[in-house]
This record gives sequence, C-alpha cells and structure tokens, in this order.
Amino acid sequence: MRFSADKVEICNIASVTTSAMEATPPAMSFSLLGSAAPVLAPRVGRLSLPGRKTISTPHHVPLTSRGTVPHIAHDVIRDHTAINSLYVGLEDFIEKKSPAVYKTPAAAHESPLKKFTCVAEDMPLILGPRRFPAIPCPPANTTSSIALLTSVGFRQLPSSEYLEAVRNLRPDIIVGMADLANKEPGNKRRAKMVDRTHAWTTEALEKLYGDSVPEEAKPKAAFFAPILPLDNAQQSLYLEDLESDFQWDISGLALYHSASLEFVPESLSNLPRLLFSEPETPHNVLREISLGADLLTTPFVGESSDAGIVLEFAFPAPAPKEGDVGLRPLGVDMWSSEHATDTSPLTEGCQCYSCKNYHRAYIHHLLMAKEMTAWALIQMHNFHVMDLFFAGVRESIQRGTYEDDVLRGYQLPANGSNQPLRMPKAYGQLNQAKQKFTESQIATPDTDASGLEEHGFAKKV
Amino acid sequence: MLCHRLKPSAKIYTAWSVSVAQMSTESVRKMPSALTFDRHAKCSTTKARASTLKLPHGEVPLPIFMPVATQASLKGLTYDQLRETGCMLCLNNTYHLGLKPGQAVLDAVGGAHKLQSWDRNLLTDSGGFQMVSLLELATVTEEGVRFLSPHDGSPMLLTPEHSISLQNSIGSDIIMQLDDVIATTSPDHARIKEAMDRSVRWLDRCIAEHKYPERQNLFCIIQGGLDLELRKQCCEEMVARDTPGIAIGGLSGGEAKEEFCKVVDTCTGLLPDNKPRYVMGVGYPEDIVVAVALGADMFDCVWPTRTAVRLLSRQPKPYTDMKQRFGDAIVSSGTLKISHKAYADDFGPVEEGCTCVCCRPTDQGGLGLTRAYMHHITAKETVGAHLLTIHNVHYMLNMMKNIRQAILDDQYPAFLRKFFSDIYGGDKTKFPAWAVGALRGVGVDLLADS
Repeated sequence: MRFSADKVEICNIASVTTSAMEATPPAMSFSLLGSAAPVLAPRVGRLSLPGRKTISTPHHVPLTSRGTVPHIAHDVIRDHTAINSLYVGLEDFIEKKSPAVYKTPAAAHESPLKKFTCVAEDMPLILGPRRFPAIPCPPANTTSSIALLTSVGFRQLPSSEYLEAVRNLRPDIIVGMADLANKEPGNKRRAKMVDRTHAWTTEALEKLYGDSVPEEAKPKAAFFAPILPLDNAQQSLYLEDLESDFQWDISGLALYHSASLEFVPESLSNLPRLLFSEPETPHNVLREISLGADLLTTPFVGESSDAGIVLEFAFPAPAPKEGDVGLRPLGVDMWSSEHATDTSPLTEGCQCYSCKNYHRAYIHHLLMAKEMTAWALIQMHNFHVMDLFFAGVRESIQRGTYEDDVLRGYQLPANGSNQPLRMPKAYGQLNQAKQKFTESQIATPDTDASGLEEHGFAKKV
Repeated sequence: MLCHRLKPSAKIYTAWSVSVAQMSTESVRKMPSALTFDRHAKCSTTKARASTLKLPHGEVPLPIFMPVATQASLKGLTYDQLRETGCMLCLNNTYHLGLKPGQAVLDAVGGAHKLQSWDRNLLTDSGGFQMVSLLELATVTEEGVRFLSPHDGSPMLLTPEHSISLQNSIGSDIIMQLDDVIATTSPDHARIKEAMDRSVRWLDRCIAEHKYPERQNLFCIIQGGLDLELRKQCCEEMVARDTPGIAIGGLSGGEAKEEFCKVVDTCTGLLPDNKPRYVMGVGYPEDIVVAVALGADMFDCVWPTRTAVRLLSRQPKPYTDMKQRFGDAIVSSGTLKISHKAYADDFGPVEEGCTCVCCRPTDQGGLGLTRAYMHHITAKETVGAHLLTIHNVHYMLNMMKNIRQAILDDQYPAFLRKFFSDIYGGDKTKFPAWAVGALRGVGVDLLADS
C-alpha cells in the first residue's frame, strides 16, 4: 500500500527500512509530472491503482448516494460516461443491525463494497465514514466515535467499527476518520478535534498496517490521512506525526478546507491530496487547484442537475465571440420556456451522450413533465462538462499557462458598481411580498382552459 | 388553431337522430393502410397467432407487449436503454402530450419521434380514456367529451376531430379513434348501447379527419361493454370501416376475468384474420397469455413500469393510490416486493437466468445486480426505479418472445401449462378458475395431466 511519488526512490528507502516491504508491491502509486512537487502551486499527476482505471489529476470525484451516482443508472455510467472514480460514504450502508453489505459474497481479490453496489471492479472506489456533503448530526462525536446519519436516524460509528468495515469492504482508498465540527469550533473543541483525529489515525494505521498485523492481512487499500480544517499551529503535533511516524503508512491526504492546503508539510508534498470542499463555481475549483488540490469534490454539479441547470463552461475560456460583452452564464436553466421548440443540443458541438442523441426541446419537456429522464440526461451532460473542464486544466498546467488562463476568462470581477448587493435592501420588502403574491396568482400557459384550447387539446365551451 | 377545425357550420350532432343502422358504410372512404401484417403460424389448438407487423418505423413481432412512455419518456430510461430491452413499439399518451409540450411544439419540432429521438414505432391512444379515468365530471355528448379543465375548472370539449388532429401532430405510427369509454361494470344497458353506437359514429368522424392515412394507421376500438350481442354488432360495423387494425376497448376496468375472456373470445371470432388485434389496457402476465390464446396480438399496460417505481413525490396525484404496488419486480413466479426485508441479504439476481442488463452477470456484459442492492436503493434512489423498470420491461418482452416462439413451434398449450405451473408452484388447485375456464374454451385443459 505504499505510495510512491517517485517509485524508485521510495522503494529504495523502503527496502532499507523493512525487508517485508519488498514482498508487497506498491498498491497505489502517485506520480507528479514535472520535477518539483511544490506546495501551493497547481500540479498535474497520475494516480494509478493496480487493475483500476488510472486517474489523471487534478480530477473531480463523483459523489454517490447509497452507492449510485444520483440520476444515472449503472449501465449508463458504464456505457455513456467517463466516470473514473467514486466516493462512497459508509453511513449509506449501515442502517441495519447486521448490514447486508458486510455479507456480500466476494472473492479474495474483489471488493465486497463494489460487489454490493454493482460497481465494476476496475472503478477506483474511495470510502469515507460519511457521505459528502454530510448532513450535520446533532449528536456529538465522542472520543471513540463519530455521529452519523443513516437512512433511519442518527447513530455513533466507533472508530474500531469503521476499521473493521474498511477491512471487510476492501475499497481502493480509505479516508481516515476525522472529528469534524458542525459549526465553527471554539478553542476547547479544536483541541479535542486534533486529539481525537490524531488518536484515530494512530489507531487506524496500527490496526491496518501495524507490525502486529500479518503481512497478508494488511489491506491493499491506500490510506488517506485526514487534515483538519484548522490552523497549522493547532494541529502541529498531529502534522509532525504524519511527517514522521505515519509517513510510511499513509498514501494520501484528505483535506476539508482549501486553506488546509497551505499546511501540507513539505515532506508530504508528494502525496495526493483529496479535497472535500463545496466550491460554488468553477472559479473556486480553479482556486483550489491553484493551491495544489489533486482530487476535488464538486457537489455543485449534482446540485445544478437537480435544479435543471445545464453547465456550460470550459477551461481555458473560449475566445469571446463577436459582440460578446460582459459576463457569460455558467449554466443554462432548462426550465425556461425559450427551449420549448429548440432542437439544438444542450451545448453546440458537445460530444456527450445527451447532446449527441437528444435536444433542448425534449429535455425542457421532460423537466416540465417531471420525468426522471430529464435529470439523467442533464447529469450526464454536466459530468461531461466537468471532465472537459478538468482535462483543460491539466493541459493548461502542463503548458505552464495556468495562471494566465485563469486570469483570461475566470478572473472574478473586482468590486465595481454592478455588483449585487451584499445584503438585501431593508426597504421595498413589502413590495417583494406583493410581487410574490401576484406571481403565485398568474397561471402558467398550460394551466387554464384557454391554455388547453391554445394547445389544441380541446375547445372551450 | 385546432378548435376552429370544428366549423360552426358543421352538422349538429345529436345523440338520437343518427342510429348505427341508418349509417351507410359506403359513404366512408376506403382507408389506405400504412402497415403490413404477415401471419406466420396459428396454434393448432388455441386461437393464438404469431405474426409480424410492419410499421413505418420497423417490424414488430406479434404477439407483443407495449410499454407505456406516457409523457414521451419511460421512467427515467434513455431510449438506448429501452432499445436494449428489445422494445420495437411503445406508447405515448395523447392527453399528456397535448398538454405538455402541446400541439404547437409538436408541430414545430416535427412530431413525437423527433421530440424524444425514438426511431422505432409509437402508438398513441385517443385521450378519451384519461378524460374518464383522471378527471371528475367528464360527461360525454354526441359532440365529444365535456370535462372540466384539471387546472382552472372551466368547461372544455374534446372531440374526435381534436383527438385525431393531435395524433396527426404527434405522428405516431398507430393512432386510436376517440371512443366513448364507460366502465364495463356499468349497470345501465341503454348507456352501454349508446356508447357503442356513438363510438361507431365517432370512428367515421375520426376517419374523415385523419390527414395522414398513408403513414399513420388508425385503429378502431370495439365497444359494447360486457354484452356480447352489442360487441358483435360493434365488430360488424367497425370491420366494415376497414381500418388497418382493430382494438378491443373498454376492458380492464374492473370486470370479472371470466367476462373479460368472453368478450375477447367473441370479438376475435368475428374479426378478420388479416388484421392485428389490440386488447387495450391489459398487461398482467396471466391476462396476456390467456388473451393470446383467445386470438389477441397486442397489449399495453402501465403496470410493469409503474410497479417498478416507488417515488410517489414524482407521480401525479391520481396515481398515488397505487402506492402498495410500487417497487415490485416481475419474475416468472409472480412478483417480488423488493422492499421486503426478505431480500435485504439475498445476493441472487432479481431473476435467475433473466437476460436483462440488470440480471445478467458481469462476465456476460450485464451489471450483475443483486436483490440485496435493489432492496438497498429501491424507493430511495431514482436509479432503483430505472433499473427495475429495465428488468420489468425486459421480462414482459421476453415473455412475449417465448409466447411467439411457442406458437411458431405449435407448442402453445404446453407453454400455457408451464406458465401457470410456474406461477402457482405446480399446485393446480390454485390455478385461477377464469383462466382454466377460458382456456378450456379454446381446447386447453390446464388441469389435465400433461
């Protein structure tokens, strides 16, 4: 399970350290392109797991719900998307007293979790204790467990149970348990967060990869150690341990705030960084990449699809067209009736499954009719847009033009006169309410009798 | 606009002045047909037939089950997924497409095939059934169906001309006449006769209004409730109009299965051999295998697809009473309520040996889906509904394929015995009496020792 930024070098050191390591081939390797592995700079890498799809980084990680990518069925993922990794939260599977997922029959080389969720064996699977984004749990975490929300309610997940679960389920990447606060933590809580996370990581590495564990019982999965969304100083002891004692057992880092990228110790800079954050726009994604994130979560993709919004951005930004002024939208609202008879694809020239086979008028119709296919098609398109976006980012970094490309098209406008107000106007609220009231009274074109008549369905009498 | 098609100068329709007997069928123009119907085999025992229906968008092997894509989409599936199940012909509902996206959009886009990117065949109903099933206070007059707009309550009128015009805009390969649908269980015999006579008159209006007979096939709908005499009269009248295909309507409305079988048997006995016969709204596997033995060719039902879906929030209101049936998988032994805890730890496929993409193991190009995982996501993830829909539609189409093969091999009676034996675990005392009776009528004794 050893990571190797520069495989040869690490293996040399490893062979000196323990002889047993030679017997175990490195399960995961992460190689950075370019000589340096700088902190706080965009970087391109390649994450390979034996027998799995290779992930070129930076890359987005699709998030799952109960083992499915929302809206798109397994055969569609396989046949019509380029999804090459999945993040799964254990809390989606353990609502029952004896969860079925642990009983999944699987051969020694197979992952029961993949078997259970019917995910192809070559799909890199990342397992963490909680879904992402996780719903905050009112019950508090304890020194030995975290609170989580299953489909039937809150429960505690002891760290020992989590370790047993990852040992059983054999994902490709394990995200270590971290004590995360629901709200901005105070001083006391911060100290607790660090102590608990420190203890859990120690326990995890000891129980999974420690000297007392027989070589064949050690999981092949790569362990990503959590870094808390706190200041450097507050978790310095933990970070020091990561650098020294834990260094040989961790294969990557899981971060929960883009600011944490600054605290990645120099000696761990070769490790892949999985950033659990909720960027609101591609601008934020680009910022996180520029700080050195390798694997990123982008919940806004799913949120856009849920809202019927088709993403429409590319990186580097295409040259402005003739007469193009001002800002371009990041997405198109497919609920808008302007698409009602538009038989053009969602994005001109797009090669995604939805654009090649269907058109705006259909997707608009499906949304209006609240047919599930609408969300499936939009989700497929949005994932495709993200794939292209990240491919553009990687090329741009390799070309060495990343900073310029961000400035040219993705620079957030400086504060100016046309900025939206930070706070809603204190006055005029009565009018707002009135407006809302009037809006609710206006029938949409297909609702009343004259609408029916206009649609040719029947005649008013 | 469509409503202007009904010119004020058009003749005034009165219910009683025109009776069927007075109508001259010669005045009805001969319809061109946009289909060919090739019969390959007829069962030597029962009335079952195996044939091929050539429609403008491809060949359909008969007997066939047609899944219902009400609003131009089948429960979250892409049309490639539907193609993969082997479907050659699916349904759209005229009432729903007439409201959304509406006739103007359909005309602008160029019809429903273009709208949904479906290059195989479509069949549309007339919209009349939804009037009666979904709307309260629908009344039928000679002009058409009067109903209250579901949204603002203002009075509306749906005429045969409206229905055909809309179906012309939809461009479906098979279109249905507007008929006067009443519950078969209605005790009012005079009303049933009136509905039958009116359906014939409306058929003439539909034929007159139909603009594209050379590329869309208009099917008549035999009415007449459970009165076999009325059904006979209706068959006679409608067969004389020589539509490309014939539907038997007004069934699956809660009548006793014995009655249902009698009506189908009587009608198929009077219908010409060289035309496809469509029994509307029938879709339970048991009903289908019996109706095939009675000589029917085409079936449709929302049950296999609705039953797969357990997401009430996305369902229009009238469907919510179907609650208890959602999340069911159809298998050869009946249905599995996949949300039952018995399946939580069941790591077998939904049905052993099923060749749908869900059940096929991964080494055969399938997904290797287990009952345990279906249980895990059913009613919680829309993907669960997509996958179960694929299985159920595939199951129905595969069953039809087996039926057809059995007829071609002249083994249909044996197929019937095995079918009922599988469902009832070989216990002949549990076989439904209606099926036993109906099949005995066509020379198959389910209870006899094979």
